This record gives sequence, C-alpha cells and structure tokens, in this order.
Amino acid sequence: MAFASKSPWVIHYDASSCNGCDIEVLATLCPGFDGERFGVINTGNPKHADIFLVTGSVNERNISVIKEIYDQMLEPKVVVACGICACSGGIFHDCYNVIGGVDKAIPVDVYAPGCAVRPEAIIDAIVEGVAVLDQKSKALKEQKKGAK
Amino acid sequence: MTLISTLIGTLVFAVLAPVLGCLLAGLDRIVSARMQGRVGPPVLQPYYDVRKLLEKEDASVNSVEKTYIICALAFALISGGIFFSGGNLLLCVFMITLSSLFFIVAAYSSRSPYAEIGAHRETLQVMAYEPMVLLFAIAFFVAVGSFDTAAVLNLREPAIASIWLVFLGLLYVLTIKLRKSPFDLSMSHHAHQEIVRGITTEMSGPTLALVEITHWVENVLFLGWIGLFFVWGNPLSIVLALAVMVVVYFLEVFIDNNFARVKWQLMLKSAWIVALVCGTINLAILVF
Amino acid sequence: MALLGFLIVFPLVVAAVLFAVRNDAVRDAIVVASAVVIGVASVALVALNLGAPGVFFEFSSGIIDIVCTIIGILIAVVILAYAVKYKNLLAGALALVQVALALVFELMFAHGVHVEFGLYFDSLSLLMAFIIGVIGSGICVYALGYMKDFQHHEPEGAKDRRPLFFSLMFIFLSAMFAIVFCNNMVWMFTAWEVTTLCSFLLIGFTKTEEAINNAFRQIVMNLAGGIAFVVALFLAVTQMGTLSFTIFIAEAVSNPAIAVLPVTALAFAGITKAAQMPFQSWLLGAMVAPTPTSALLHSSTMVKAGVFMLVKLAPVFLVSPIPSVMVMLVGGITFLWCSFMAISQSNAKRVLAYSTIANLGLITACAGVGTPEAVWAATFLVLFHAIAKSLLFLCVGTAEHHIGSRDIEDMDLLFDRMPRLARYMMLGIMCMFIAPFGMLIAKWATIVSFVEMGNVILLVILAFGSAATFMFWAKWLGKLSGIAGQPENVELTVHKSEWGSVLLMAVLLVIACVLLPYVSTYIVEPYICYVYGGSGQAVATDNLWIASICVAAVVIVLFAGLGRNKSRRVNVYMAGVSVDNESRSFKNSLSQTSEATARNWYMEDYFGEKRLSPVGVGVCTVIIVAAFAFAIVGVPGLL
Repeated sequence: MAFASKSPWVIHYDASSCNGCDIEVLATLCPGFDGERFGVINTGNPKHADIFLVTGSVNERNISVIKEIYDQMLEPKVVVACGICACSGGIFHDCYNVIGGVDKAIPVDVYAPGCAVRPEAIIDAIVEGVAVLDQKSKALKEQKKGAK
Repeated sequence: MTLISTLIGTLVFAVLAPVLGCLLAGLDRIVSARMQGRVGPPVLQPYYDVRKLLEKEDASVNSVEKTYIICALAFALISGGIFFSGGNLLLCVFMITLSSLFFIVAAYSSRSPYAEIGAHRETLQVMAYEPMVLLFAIAFFVAVGSFDTAAVLNLREPAIASIWLVFLGLLYVLTIKLRKSPFDLSMSHHAHQEIVRGITTEMSGPTLALVEITHWVENVLFLGWIGLFFVWGNPLSIVLALAVMVVVYFLEVFIDNNFARVKWQLMLKSAWIVALVCGTINLAILVF
Repeated sequence: MALLGFLIVFPLVVAAVLFAVRNDAVRDAIVVASAVVIGVASVALVALNLGAPGVFFEFSSGIIDIVCTIIGILIAVVILAYAVKYKNLLAGALALVQVALALVFELMFAHGVHVEFGLYFDSLSLLMAFIIGVIGSGICVYALGYMKDFQHHEPEGAKDRRPLFFSLMFIFLSAMFAIVFCNNMVWMFTAWEVTTLCSFLLIGFTKTEEAINNAFRQIVMNLAGGIAFVVALFLAVTQMGTLSFTIFIAEAVSNPAIAVLPVTALAFAGITKAAQMPFQSWLLGAMVAPTPTSALLHSSTMVKAGVFMLVKLAPVFLVSPIPSVMVMLVGGITFLWCSFMAISQSNAKRVLAYSTIANLGLITACAGVGTPEAVWAATFLVLFHAIAKSLLFLCVGTAEHHIGSRDIEDMDLLFDRMPRLARYMMLGIMCMFIAPFGMLIAKWATIVSFVEMGNVILLVILAFGSAATFMFWAKWLGKLSGIAGQPENVELTVHKSEWGSVLLMAVLLVIACVLLPYVSTYIVEPYICYVYGGSGQAVATDNLWIASICVAAVVIVLFAGLGRNKSRRVNVYMAGVSVDNESRSFKNSLSQTSEATARNWYMEDYFGEKRLSPVGVGVCTVIIVAAFAFAIVGVPGLL
C-alpha cells in the first residue's frame, strides 16, 4: 500500500456551485465528520493537494481555471466531482453558458452525486478516490523504476 | 575536539530529531483535534504525510529552490548538533538563522506572488524574534559563565533561577519560531487563515517533505532551548527539563488553538517590547 | 623601511604620470601595472613581516616637515578657491581657521619637538596596508572599465576629466599609506587632510549641483574634524611634549588625566572621518560620485582612516572614561540607527552607505570599549567589511551600468540576467550579515567582549541592530535570487577589468573566511599581543573552524550547486487565472489582464529617514558636546 492513501490532501474548487455542496464539503472537514481522521487536510493549494474536489458545473468562464488548477497538481492525483451539477451539469445542464459536468474539462475519477451532496457521500468518494490514488501511485513508481 | 563532538552530535541529531519531531507533530495534531472536539488523525500522520510527499512527482518552479531547501535542512541539523553536543549556544543561534535565510531565499527565488508575500513576512518574523533570541544567548552566558551548553551540567542551580525573565521573553517569541497562531504570519498550518500556503506555496512534493522535516528538527531544537533553563548538575534535572518541554509545547498548542492570527504590526511591536523589557531588565539585574 | 617609503611615494609618482596621460590604452597599461606593483609590494610587506610586533624606523627630515607645511597651505588654497567659486562661506572660513591654526602650530610649537622615529609599522598597520594596497588598487583597476562607460554617458563634447580622476585615486592611496605608517603626528595630520581634499574633489567630480553641495558638506564636516586634530596636536605638545603617535598613546595610557582632552579631540576627528552620527550625512551624500569613488571611500580608504585612528586609541579608552563613553555611545547609537534607516532604503547604494556607517559604528563602539577582545573584533570587522563592501560596490556599479538602475527593486531577476554577477553579489551580501561568514564571527566576538564588560546598553543595541541588519540584507538577497524563464543575459558586455577586480574581491573574501583561524593567529592576534600583552581571541579556534567549514559549504552551493536540479519545470500558482505565467500576468475579475508584482517592505512609517535621523543626530550631538565639556573641565589649569 502506498502512503498516498494514508494522507489524501484535498483542494476544493467551486466551479459554479450554488454553495450548497461547498458547505457540505467544508462540513466534511469540521468536527462533526472530522475528515482528518483519515489524514484528509484541506490545503487550498493545488501544488500540495492529491485530490481535487470540484463542486458545481463547468461553464465557459471557469473551464480554463479548472484545467489550470488540475495541471498544477502533481502526479499522482485524483478528481472527485462533488454533487450532481459537477457530475453532469444537474439542473443547470441546459443553461446558455453551461458546458456540463467536470468531465467535460478534465478526467474525473469518482462521481459523488447529490443535491446537495451529503458529507457521508463525500467521505465515501474520497475513500474511493484514495483507492484510485493508490493505483496511480503504484503506476508512477513502476514508471520511475522503468525510467531508471 | 569540538569539531569531532559537533560532527557526532550532528549525525546523532540528524537521526533522532526527525523521529522525535515527527512524534511531536503527531501529538500536536491529536491534541489540537481534541481541543476542537474532534478525534484527530493517528499519531504517525505526519510521517505518512512526509512519506507521501516523497513519493510524489519531483517538480519545481525553478532549478534552485530544492537546493536552497536542502541547505536549510542541513544547517538546521548542524545547529541542533552544535546545541546537543554541548557546543556554543551563540553559534547554534547563528546557524539556525542561516537555515531560516535559505528557507526565505528559496521562497523568493520562485517569484510567485503568494510565496513572495510569505517570504516578506518570514523576514519580518525573523526581525521580530531575533533580538530576544540573541538576548537569550547573552543572558545565558552571563548566568552560566559560558556560551557552551555543556556548562549547565556544572551548575549548582538551574539557569532559570537567575534568568526567569528572559525565559518568559523567549516563551513569547517561541510562538513565532514554532509558527503557531497568533504569530504564524508566513505560513500557517491551518488553511483557513492563510493566503494560499504562504511561504511554501511553490514548494511541492519531495521539496515540501524536506520543509516539513526541517520544521520537525527546528521544533526539537527550540524545545531544547527551553529545556536548557532547567538543567543543572543533578542528573535527574534532565527529567524535569523534559517535563517542562512537554508542558511548554502543550501551552503553545493551546495558544495556537485559541488565538486568531494578528497583524504584523502587533507582532513586531510586541516582540520587540518584550525583548527590550525582559532582556534589558534581566541583564541589568545580572550585571549590577 | 624602503618598502614603506616606496608604498607612500610610488602612488604619488603614478598619480603625476596619470595626470599627464590622455591616451586610454596607455592609461590602462599604467594603472594595471602600477596596481599590480602596489598590490605585490604591500603583500610582500605583510608576508615578510607576518606577526611582527611594532617596528620603528629612525627617520626624521626637516624637508618633509616643510613639505607638510606647504601641502597644508596648498590644501587650504584649493578649498578657499572652491569656496569662493561656489560661494560657500562656511567651508572657506573653516579652511582659513584650520590653516591658521596649523601654521601657528607648526611655526611656533612644533619646532622644538623632535620625533626620532618618523615611520613605523605594526600588525594593524600591516593589515591596513594590505587593505589599501590590494583592495584599493583593485578598485583603481575596476575604475578603468567603469569610467569608460561613464565617459560614454557624458554629453557629447564633454571634457575628458579622467586623468584627474585617476591621479586623485592614486594620491588617495598614497595618503592612506602615509596615515598608517607615519609615527610623526604632523605628517599623519597632513596625510589626513590630503584624504579630506581628495574625497572632496572626487565627490564633486561630476560638478552637478547636488555633487557640489554634497562635496561641500563633506569638506565642512571633515574640516571640523581636522581642526579637532590640530587642537589635539597643540595639547600633545604643550601637555605631553611629544608628537610621536606611539609615545602619545603610551603617555595617555600611563597618565590618563592629562590626556583626556587631546584624546577626546582625536577621537572626534576619527568620528567625523568615520562618518558617525551626527556626521553620517557626508558619506550618504558621497553616493553621487562615480561608483569606484564610493567603493574607495567606503571600503579601503577615508572612513577606514577614521576607524584606524579610533582602534589605535583603544588602549587609551580602556583607562580614560570620558572619550571612551563618547566613542562607545556614538558608535553604538550609529550602528542601531543606521541599521534601522537602511530598512527604509530602496536605492542599493544608499543601503550600502547606511550599512557602511552602521558597521563603522560597531567598529567604533568596539574601539571605545577598548578591551583586547573588543579590539580583536574591531580589527576583524575592518578587514571583512573592507573586502565585502568593495565587492558589493563593484557589483552594484557594474549592475547599474548594465540594467540602467541602482534601485533594488529593479534588480529583480538579476540571477538570470547577470548570473555570475548576481552570485558574487549574493556572496558579498551573505558575508555582510549572516554566520558563518567573517562579519558575523566578528559580531560574535563583539558580543563576547561587551558581555565581559557587562555593558548592557551596547548588548541591547547589538541585539536589535542585528535584527534590523537581517531584515534589510535578506530582502535584498531575496530580490536578487528571483528566477524566471529565459530572460536575456546582459552581462556579456561587462569589461574585463571589472570582472578582474570583482573576482579578486570575491576570492579574497572566500580565502579570508575559510582561513579565518589563520587570519586570527597570524594577522590580528600579533597586534593584540603587542599592545595588550595577551590574547584577544574570544571565539574558540574550534568554533572558527566550524564556521570556516560552513563557509566553504555555502560557497560551493552558491557557485557549483545552484541550478543543477533537473526536475520537471512547472508554472507558479496564479489562482488558476494566469495569462502569461512567465511575466506573472493574470486575468482579473473584469476579464482584463493584470500583472502581479511584489515590492519589498520598506516600512517608512517605522524606519523612515525623516523620522529617525533627527533623533540620532540630536542624541549623538549631545553626547559629543557633553564629552567635550567634561574633558575641558578636566584639563588641569584651564579653568
């Protein structure tokens, strides 16, 4: 098991969420649910983070921002779409400037639907994401060995 | 003789300090969590974090940042080696300042707007705590009769008896040195009160792991300074010193969790006033 | 003795030749050759007499006495001419007063006094000779390239005044050698005044209004110091009956009561020359001069003459409280206040100037304390300050000509644009303020000596001053170290002579830092032993070795380790909205492009010149006036 799974640091980005999911993301890290039990820390900096939590749908204005933040995260990294808007566009899917879910901009590893998404669901998604992180971490190690 | 003992001290310190510092950081996080009504992470969480960071991809915004950080760690280790091998306290203080300088220059070299703000603030922090730290070394010399930390073992009574005022002053600036709120201006461990990640914004992966280790090492060294006040000829006094170190660290964690970050003006003014009052009065009492 | 005479006379001959030479190539050859000769001669002098106690030469000459008188009159005439031309009453009046006093003294009093040993050297003189001969002539070589660029920037058809410039530089060196080698105080005084006049002409070299004003400020302040020097000469003859500097100091040590006033007056002369508060403004004003002048004034000459005098007087300060307290407090306060004010400066040369004054303040304070440990520290400070400061000035001068600014904020990215120069500059800066480099080792010794004296005020001053020092150097260092992409390298056009001098200083710096324990044993300690009869090294040799090993490590990192990291390059974090990451521009909330810029902290509200300067000047003036009042009261038979 890679250490990546024991210390999943997250960064949270609000794409165009109504703030419902954002509140739940923060609640996940608060005493009631205490994400830090699993080593989860909200970093606020893509360069430190392993898991990218996106809430809200992708639109013309924020698609470049999502891409840039994703690019600045270092491998291995995992994207979790939090809430139905992030998964598919939700009730905003046919708005004039909405492109759709986060997967229209960057590859998404875990989908956590809900309106708003429950903290339990977010924790579940992160745990799910940690497994993906683990795989990617191993793949990276193999690659490093191969390079040598 | 000093050269060899310093070398051995540095090597031993380089092995032990990260272990102790890591455990200390783990305890810090559990205690903090309990103070906030949470369960908190396992005690080895900081170790997992660093191992994870070391496993991450090695990327950097420029070709020099990591070199500077390695220097910062190396000089922190030398500083600790000098201190715990009974060497010169003043040299130890100078070396740890050199370590901070490399850390600052690493942040400056990235030219990232956020990292630069952190670097400016870190410089300011050094300026805030430096007078008190120097006065601590000076007062130690006056009280003990030597800059060598080993000299405390020949004392009849602990240094705290004559320089307790300096101890209080050092306690005040220790909050800055340990990067604890309310004086964690350059880099907070709590994301909610930080502009991105302050001075470490551009440091990532293995580089950030080295930064973390440097902080562990520094914390052990600074607590060593605290313990120094309580050691004298009696071997049992080391137990007392350890107990005081634990209490002081607990106190710092308590302060950390109960105060919001202050503005730099208050930090600079208060730290200098504390240094001026505590340092001058205590030195004057000792000398006259 | 031949070597001493050679070192004093040879630069004069070179100066005369250079004054006549108009051809660039010929001048280059002469300057380089004579710089090498002077350098080799002074190194030979040091090497041959390493660790020598005082060596005196029986040498007295009526001709030289007369020459000194003539030089004194000439100086007064030149100053008067300038004072009339630029209508500066004060300078003219002071010059008249001084020449009148000097003539009265030389004709009426000095005649009867015979100084048997006119020339001498001890380890301190040797150290100074090394600094003057190697660093000073290095700066002269540097000036060749610099002044070519300088001449290019002059308006078309402007008169080429470089012959005057270079001959002044060499006269300066000669006068400095005379100051450190002359035992006859009248000769010393003449050389002292020659340095004053030379720096007056060099500061006013550009002849702009600002330059002229600053030059006159310099001359007024230093003439005041010169008058104090003459007063000291009067008293030395009337009360102690000697004009030999060595006998004067010995007499003053054995009988402090009669020496209070002359020693105070000499210390005052030293304080003016070393640009201590309240006289700091002349050295700041001297920044208008071409950079080689600043480098010469700050590192190896002029101000070093002031501290040389004070360090020489240190044994007297140990037994004579009035001048001691004056020198100690003025030095200490200057150190603290100028370190504070340096924080508020963004002009690189002004930062350097304030740091020079602050460090001289520290040397002055050490001299004022007067214990062997303090003098050890002061001597180290003199050496390392001279090397590091000249390196920094040369680097700033070269950077200024190639990036078109001497503002620290404009030195952003220098690490990329002028990679070699930036590294040298970083080396110089680090030497100025951070352990394990030489200056900090000296500061360490300073702390020890102050602690042993139980001097709480100076200790507190030192603690706070060091913190301020960290602030202003670290932010400059940080600015230099910034790296981005592939900017254009602009250092390919730097003159060879400039590289040569910069390299010389850098090598000297590294050698002096790495061989620190040897510098202590063979150069500094002999002087302490000779004067005090005991060791002054307050820092254990083992600790010095630790420091020198660390210096070696840092230097290797700086010149060989940096830039070797081959990890993947990534962009800096711009909150996800960067437009062009190289130039740090981003898309703002109105969809327009903004550039992210960061300026350093200058904290004008706390450390601004306007706020602090009057306080420091006022306090130091009061201290000096009070010291003179006490000294005059103490003179037997005067009141």
